[in-house]
Amino acid sequence: MKNLSRRSFLASSVKAVLFGAYAARGSAFAQSTSWTNWSGGQTCQPAGRYDISSENELAGLLKNTLGSIRPIGSGHSFSPLIPTDGHLVVIDQLSGIRAYDTKSMQVTLGAGTRLGDLGPQLDAIGQGMINLPDIDRQTVAGAIATGTHGTGVALQALSSFVTSLRLVTAGGQVMDIDASDGDLFHAARVSVGALGIVTEVTMQNREAYNLKKREWAAPTEDILENFDELAASHRHFEIFPLVYSDYSLVLSIDETDEPIGQIELEPEVSDDASIAESLGLTSNPTPAQRRTISNATASRIQPTEAVDVSHKILTNLRNSRFNEMEYSVPAEVGAECLREILRTIYEQKIDVLFPLEYRYVGADDNWLSMSYGDHPHATISIHRMASEDYRPYFNIIEPIFWKYGGRPHWGKVHSLTHKELTGLYPHFKDFMEIRRSLDPQGRMLNSHLRALFNG
Amino acid sequence: MNLFYSKIAGLALIAFLSGCTTPNIETSHYLSSPAFSNDVANTAVMGKWSRSCALCHITGEAGAPVVGDQEEWQRRLAQGEQAILKNVLEGYNAMPPLGYCMSCEVADFRAMIAYMAGTNP
Repeated sequence: MKNLSRRSFLASSVKAVLFGAYAARGSAFAQSTSWTNWSGGQTCQPAGRYDISSENELAGLLKNTLGSIRPIGSGHSFSPLIPTDGHLVVIDQLSGIRAYDTKSMQVTLGAGTRLGDLGPQLDAIGQGMINLPDIDRQTVAGAIATGTHGTGVALQALSSFVTSLRLVTAGGQVMDIDASDGDLFHAARVSVGALGIVTEVTMQNREAYNLKKREWAAPTEDILENFDELAASHRHFEIFPLVYSDYSLVLSIDETDEPIGQIELEPEVSDDASIAESLGLTSNPTPAQRRTISNATASRIQPTEAVDVSHKILTNLRNSRFNEMEYSVPAEVGAECLREILRTIYEQKIDVLFPLEYRYVGADDNWLSMSYGDHPHATISIHRMASEDYRPYFNIIEPIFWKYGGRPHWGKVHSLTHKELTGLYPHFKDFMEIRRSLDPQGRMLNSHLRALFNG
Repeated sequence: MNLFYSKIAGLALIAFLSGCTTPNIETSHYLSSPAFSNDVANTAVMGKWSRSCALCHITGEAGAPVVGDQEEWQRRLAQGEQAILKNVLEGYNAMPPLGYCMSCEVADFRAMIAYMAGTNP
């Protein structure tokens, strides 16, 4: 049996499935442009869009208009943070580096700057972001507002690297907010766009740096038994547990002085069909058959290594679209929660193919952060292709997250209500107080957020 | 081909591991290119294009047809503009709905398609 490189998997026959995903969809579309999120799971018909070019324009707009407003970044949230029949405020034009300091290693950015565009700009001034999420199309404001995070037990979510931000409230008041503002700062760094519209952000960076990425496959239990040590010994460490399998894909990333380059086997032509045939699989394999083939496949994955500048290692563009649910649970129960999810998928024969994602994120002090508190959290993600109905799968798994005290990622699918959220976030009521004080009319809320914050 | 294996070998991993590098976009070069300057794609529209479509349509990221590749664009336009617009509005393969242009209206997309295909009068 041939060995597989990671790339062989990627080059395999799935393209036909992906390319055909939209064939059955309707052909009609409205002449007035509706809004749809990245995955296609959220849509709305806004009254209009404000494509703002400056903070002054935005402040004037908010002072002189009435009605519901939602700020929009790149539309990557899977949860209904955006849909409104009011107006969308597009912040694309508020982008790029506005100021930087080579001593403090801080940079001030337009809030609409896309993470993927920022890396090269920071390279040019000798800076690098301390951590990044793995999707590069998000805007800085969107990533911060939703508590988006990268990987690393000693590394916090992106919002924790915000040293100050500028907020335009629903009434058009411009506020500069930093640590000296105490509670307001803790609320504003993860605000789901409910306090106002962020126009500018100052981030704490570090000197530019290179990272070395290693990827391999290993038995999931072997990794879980040593996860704390592995997470502590690498700058970034995470696993992608394969469903119906005893294996995970493992990813470690560490700082390096090695030259930029990649060591990887050449992609091979996939012989998926022959593998399946040799194992005697039918078109409806049992869970045990799935495990057999998945283990056989995983065991053939060859390790790969790559060295590059930090942002090229940490983020990338996703070529296939999906919907996602992600919860954080206390790190000490993370492995147990993960095992229960994998067991449930197997026992209930859930027809899912995506691996899970399991990693640690450092604790922070942002009130609505999924990692708020004194200890690291484990985050676990489940996914469905965008062309598939995610609800049956997510509805089965979500109660497992709740059982372990899970907090949802604000930008990802969840079904928690005001009541549960109040119990999960120690400062949830404090956040609501600040929200009411800044936006008593609730202009910044849509129906989803109104239900979450007003009960 | 066994559908299950086809799916597990691809779907299960592709979304996580098929990351592409981000193009280092220098849009000014393309915006001023005489071959593709036109009246329909005005400054405001081109600003939107440079902040959205350009992310993939300059380098051909994720299989996107490259701006100015008239042969490829003609092949696609043979389906009719409506078909391309539908793909833009609803998403197609790696391209999300609206192609990352949150401020674009249908008229903007029409101008952008014409710009990239080089079909403006």
